[in-house]
Amino acid sequence: MATSAVNADKSLIGTVQQKKKRKKWQSYALLFILPSFILYTLFVIVPTVGSVYLSFTSWDGISENVRYIGFANFVEIWNSPRVHNALKNTMIMTISLVVLENIAAIAMAMMVDKVRWFRNLFRSVFYFPTLLSGIVMGFVWAMILNYNFGVFNQILESVGLGSWIVDWLGNPKYAMLSIILSTVWKGAGYYMIIYLAGLQGIPQELNEAASIDGAGGWQQFRHITFPLLAGSMTVCMVLSMISALKIFDQIAVMTDGGPGFETETLTYIIYKVGFGELRQGFGTALAMVLFLIILIITVFQVKVLQKREVQL
Amino acid sequence: MTMQTRKRVGQIALFIVTLLVAIIFFFPIFFNLMSAFKSNAEIMKDAIAFPKTLYLDSFKYLLTETEFPRAILNSLILTAVSIAAQVLIIPMAGYAIERRNARWTRFIFVYFLAGMMIPFQAYMIPLFKELRMLGLYGSLAGPILIYVAGAVGFGCLLYTSFVKGIPREIEEAAEIDGCSRYAIFWKIVFPLLGPVTASMVVLNGLGIWNDFLMPMLVLPSGQAKTMVVEIYRYIGEFSSRWDMIFAGTAMSVVPVLIVFIALQKYFVKGIASGATKG
Repeated sequence: MATSAVNADKSLIGTVQQKKKRKKWQSYALLFILPSFILYTLFVIVPTVGSVYLSFTSWDGISENVRYIGFANFVEIWNSPRVHNALKNTMIMTISLVVLENIAAIAMAMMVDKVRWFRNLFRSVFYFPTLLSGIVMGFVWAMILNYNFGVFNQILESVGLGSWIVDWLGNPKYAMLSIILSTVWKGAGYYMIIYLAGLQGIPQELNEAASIDGAGGWQQFRHITFPLLAGSMTVCMVLSMISALKIFDQIAVMTDGGPGFETETLTYIIYKVGFGELRQGFGTALAMVLFLIILIITVFQVKVLQKREVQL
Repeated sequence: MTMQTRKRVGQIALFIVTLLVAIIFFFPIFFNLMSAFKSNAEIMKDAIAFPKTLYLDSFKYLLTETEFPRAILNSLILTAVSIAAQVLIIPMAGYAIERRNARWTRFIFVYFLAGMMIPFQAYMIPLFKELRMLGLYGSLAGPILIYVAGAVGFGCLLYTSFVKGIPREIEEAAEIDGCSRYAIFWKIVFPLLGPVTASMVVLNGLGIWNDFLMPMLVLPSGQAKTMVVEIYRYIGEFSSRWDMIFAGTAMSVVPVLIVFIALQKYFVKGIASGATKG
């Protein structure tokens, strides 16, 4: 009787202490999280909410009065040929970039995985362009592809392909292609690293067993390597798609959206309309459309791609 | 052919193909660095030729006659301070979210992650307006706060998943010894998070160093901006002076090259861990 009373007393003290401790904990957690919370709310969430509001106005970006115009911006987006063109360009660029970057990255990853000499050097060389700013690399490519003095045309000339010489960035037919290929050059190394990590996670025995069973190189790739890379592929496809949808720097330096509107994408038109043409209400409405597109495609892509992943 | 020689031939063929691809990959960078040491006339005359003399005038001009030195300094300050602030506040939040597992922390976690989906273009216009209202337009403090805020989502994701792997017993032992939560975090947990911090520093540092759109928008015109923005300006201004632009781009490439060579393994680890956790 007496002992159980003591025990009850003890456990009571225990819970009180625990409560005190937990309370102390709570205040610590709050203090730990608060700086991030304040900054994030102030500089990400507040302006995003502001964007939602501004997209329903005809604000020019300068004047004091912000006029509410309902869905007029969205109606204009729906009807604007320029926006449709930008959307089409965004789609072409995104699909080509996702496909080409991933093919290039898988090929490069397999090369540096299999090659016997200078493996690390090759890996660094493939990877290095991803570290440069889009502006710098866009400029270097603009110089290489320049019609009058560019190295690329000079090389074509000297190897007897003079008839291929065109104005790579000034000709509407080739401007988009030039931006896409130079972006593959810049981006593929990043995905290569992810695929390389995936490749190194595939047990060597699987390929050995297959090769004993008589499977050739292509069959091994098709039935072992490729399915087992599905996890890396989900990541790389999502990442390359998001970055392709947001492509900006290269376009700014290489073509400025031109010739005409040939390389104007959604992100570029947002910038042009908002800051060049001082129609920030319309610009934010376009930004909302971009946000929705990214959201929908990302969710969809993750769902679909995860289905075909094989777990080891 | 025996199996042995066939393998050997295959290896050599693979090596040659890889080498060719590597040359294509390295060429633009090599071309940029080489052209930085040529005069404008030399570049115009024969873009592909090696420099005849070591022409340094364009570097001299950029460093003495333009805002370039100030832009280099701005880039350094912006990158260093933003990264330091990120490392100071984001791990704390990630740690607290993981360890204090309550309804409100779970809510905050989701709230932070939502930001990863929002592209910068979606909020840049009001952000620009907000900085003016807060009186931060024109100072480096604006971009710094924006960079820290923008890194919260992904940073928390990385840190919470790594904190999970740290045994709680270590912290409990320290608590019994009378350590405060701050001391436990900074003296025990934070050092254990070193690898994550290293990858965050490397990846975000690079992103900030190379960023273009945001600093161009929020730093006022007529004043030195960051290196990348300055180079973009020169492309318009010195449109016929390729030597100048090549020198500017070379100066922005070389530091990245040096840092990359020195910290190569962190870059690779950073991508690998970032990709799988993201």
